[in-house]
Amino acid sequence: MKSIQCNRIVAKNLALLYGEAARRFGKMPAFATRKSALQWHPVSYKELYNQGLNLATGLINLGVMARDHVGLFGDNRYEWMLADYGVQLCGAADVPRGRDVSDAELHYIIDHAGIKVSFVETKQLATRLLKLKPQLPGLEHIIMLVPKADVPEGILTLDSIRQEGARLRESGDRTAEERIAGIKPDDLFTLIYTSGTTGTPKGVMLSHDNMMSQIRNLPGQYGCSDRILSVLPIWHVFERVIEMYTISFGGCTYYSSILTLSEDMQNVEPTFMASAPRLWEKIHEKILLNVRKSHPVRQLLFHIAYFLSKQYKNSEYFITNRNLKMKPQPAWQRFLLMPLHVLRWVVVLPWYGFFNAAVLERIRLGAGGCLAATISGGGALPIHIDKFFNYVGIPVLEGYGLTETSPVVSVRPKINLIVGTVGPPIKETEVRIVCSDTGKILYPDNGCALNGRGKRGEILVRGPQVMKGYFREDTLTGAAIRNGWLHTGDIGMMTHNNCLKILGRSKATIVLSSGENVEPEPLEMQLLRSRFIDQCVVVGQDRKFLGLLVVPNLSEFGKIGLNSVSMSELAVMPEAREIIKKEIRRLISQTGGYKKYEQIGEFRILPDKFEIGKELTNLFKIKRHVVAEKYQDVIEELFTKTSKK
Amino acid sequence: MELPDQLLYTHDQALLGLMIAIIMLGMGASLTINDFRAVARNPKGVFTGFLSQFGLMPLIALGMSIVLGLHPAFAISLILIGCLPGGTTSNMFTYFSRGSVALSISMTTASTLLALIMMPIIINLYTVGFTAQLSADLRVGGEETEFVIPTGNIISSLVLVLLPVILGMILRRKSPGWAKTAEDTAGFLAVIVILYLIVTAFLRHGDLFIKTPKEIYIASVGLGLAGFFFGYWFSRLIGMKPIFQRAISLETGIQNTPVAFAIILLSFNEPVQSQMLWLAILYATFIVMTSSIITLYFRRKGKFDWDVYKNIQIHNRLFGEDYVTHYPDGYLPKRLVNDPSQGTQPAQNRKKAS
Repeated sequence: MKSIQCNRIVAKNLALLYGEAARRFGKMPAFATRKSALQWHPVSYKELYNQGLNLATGLINLGVMARDHVGLFGDNRYEWMLADYGVQLCGAADVPRGRDVSDAELHYIIDHAGIKVSFVETKQLATRLLKLKPQLPGLEHIIMLVPKADVPEGILTLDSIRQEGARLRESGDRTAEERIAGIKPDDLFTLIYTSGTTGTPKGVMLSHDNMMSQIRNLPGQYGCSDRILSVLPIWHVFERVIEMYTISFGGCTYYSSILTLSEDMQNVEPTFMASAPRLWEKIHEKILLNVRKSHPVRQLLFHIAYFLSKQYKNSEYFITNRNLKMKPQPAWQRFLLMPLHVLRWVVVLPWYGFFNAAVLERIRLGAGGCLAATISGGGALPIHIDKFFNYVGIPVLEGYGLTETSPVVSVRPKINLIVGTVGPPIKETEVRIVCSDTGKILYPDNGCALNGRGKRGEILVRGPQVMKGYFREDTLTGAAIRNGWLHTGDIGMMTHNNCLKILGRSKATIVLSSGENVEPEPLEMQLLRSRFIDQCVVVGQDRKFLGLLVVPNLSEFGKIGLNSVSMSELAVMPEAREIIKKEIRRLISQTGGYKKYEQIGEFRILPDKFEIGKELTNLFKIKRHVVAEKYQDVIEELFTKTSKK
Repeated sequence: MELPDQLLYTHDQALLGLMIAIIMLGMGASLTINDFRAVARNPKGVFTGFLSQFGLMPLIALGMSIVLGLHPAFAISLILIGCLPGGTTSNMFTYFSRGSVALSISMTTASTLLALIMMPIIINLYTVGFTAQLSADLRVGGEETEFVIPTGNIISSLVLVLLPVILGMILRRKSPGWAKTAEDTAGFLAVIVILYLIVTAFLRHGDLFIKTPKEIYIASVGLGLAGFFFGYWFSRLIGMKPIFQRAISLETGIQNTPVAFAIILLSFNEPVQSQMLWLAILYATFIVMTSSIITLYFRRKGKFDWDVYKNIQIHNRLFGEDYVTHYPDGYLPKRLVNDPSQGTQPAQNRKKAS
């Protein structure tokens, strides 16, 4: 017999999911908004659905047709979710983007997607769009999300439309129900414009079917008692799938922000959290900082605990066959090593048990103490961060996906967690590895030993989550989806325990003038282990050697006595250069297994940090083309000056 | 069974003494005045715990001594262990077993104070038969002495043991940072010293483990297990909520063994001292293993109740004291349906509402 708490709602489309959630979870809180640290405002599933129906009726009254595209520009807040409810319940699709959208993007998206009605979050955004309106003949209505603010002329408010809808529904209007019944599985629920790490925005068309397949196929067991802390931009597909997933099992989403995150973690004690790698790096840094600040005895205890946990977990991974296997492991080797690992496991167990309980639990309490799992996506998680959290006892489930795959292709399940991989593909999903030059299928390949595992190539995906295509970009769609397979442009391999391992983006691959191919991402991740390096970018396309652009960590330099006001000041300090140089040598050395052409020949300290919206995407991924453009002179100087020497 | 004349050398005893002092200091460092106030806030739980700790547990010890036909020295030791107060170890295990830590701390606090009165009474009452037997044995051996329980000494060693606890509490008030360190160090030291004692005992008197009759093993393992079992069912039958059942069960089974070491070393002499000490060492070793296993079991079994409880706690913390969480129909099992907060949040009590 299935118990209800394990049941996820499986519906045909999002509108029906919302309805079923309201029926099943009724008065349970669905979303909570922060007023102050210990004062949050909950909205129940039923309230949300009823408000959503009212809003949908209001939108229909405003002229929104089924399958229309409705703009939704703003960041995490309850009204955003309500607007999404409204759009889904009137059978339309939303076109979301964050508050930091530029005027040019705004213009491009509204024009390209043919948006008639658009939500905007703030007054500031509303005025900006109002100015653009004359150039956008299709745009009819602008609706502001923020409730209590003075409204510029020519702008509607969400509240007024909802109230109008409520009045209509009271007088018996049931058009929303008709629209819901009319939604086809193939209809879009959203049209997401990605700027991604390359090029101009593309509108990714995701259907109800895409999203429902994700909810159906994601692993994990959650229920009404789960609390999800939300920090990622709400309009990003990774965050959205988590929101929909949460609705499907009746959990409550708490909207936090980067600034209040650590406080909110303490107060909300989330059981689940999704975030991008950069955030885990920050948390990792903070934990280590707290350890360094603590009493020497406790520092020692932490290091003993961490060491023991590492020994224990590594043996456990070996015994349960969950160690990263990029090369095949011969049976005799496993047979010989097994007794050693079992012995180590048994010897370490009691000590690990004690230190885990007494020391590591304190660390976990820093993250609220209830985290059953955390999920990382939207970029590669550096391996040392990955290991750190797993050793400390906060299981990090790294996943892989693209906006084009709504987004999850694979994720590590909690019961089969293999550090260093992004887990096996989720149900109903097929993955192929093909040679990026010849297009030859490397995995799965029956004719080859071990079915082609361990071979690197481009990742291809086929499954119910793959998008319908790029909106009004047939050539691009045709290039991305060939014979039903989505070409991801990412380089990866299938490990010998059937997990996907991501090795880089083919578009980011640096080809040196010597013809050697270098993946910059693994090198950058290795370099990020240095506490002096905050961010870095490896460059060197068509050059003789690799160069590095470094964003230094000012506070760490300050701690060792190199106080400087700005990074440009630090950049000219010979001591700082010396330290960075040493760090690079230490981290990327030939003795450490790096090839000769992977050595960093020269580096420059940059005068500014990377910023979100400029050099970084909203998920903190580096936009290489932006960095390359912005620091063109620095890069040019780096290579010319050194080669003259 | 014959034990070597001296189970512990003088330096071992000094080490043990130091360890006891540090552990008790660590225990004090984990307590605040609020913990004493908390006793008053949950009188029903603390009283149930009291009945379980000073009523059930000594009876179990007595019963086991009789059924297993233990040698009087071992029997006295077992009864002594049976009526010990709880220690900080039980608080830690309760935390991980998803039980009420507040109740566990309250019970530890209350029982440590009450031990001053209860322990002498219970020991005297329950060991009557065994002391008589011991005296008879001694007379057969040609000695003209009578074995009596050193009640006065027991009380003074208890007082002595409580001194570092008070010191620890002062430390906590003065410097919370140091108090935290003391707490961690104490736990670590306890494990080290117990292991040291076991290992040295093993090296010096390796045959001791073989010579020790199986009743002694049964008694030292069984006492804790029986405590868990009866503590659990007693509190359950009395109608306590699941999170309290787990706390009471662990508090009943896990005793503050350092106190036992102190009493045995300070109040008893040979020929019974070594035997008493041996049983206490065995109990201290096995209880760590049994309570770890029980804790893992409770942790798994209590997950659902705990998640519900925790969720409600947080709802009331963030949405206001009077927020009522309406779980969907059929989600909560019968034991939680009337009060999913398990008696910790008044607003969640459905019985009163309807």
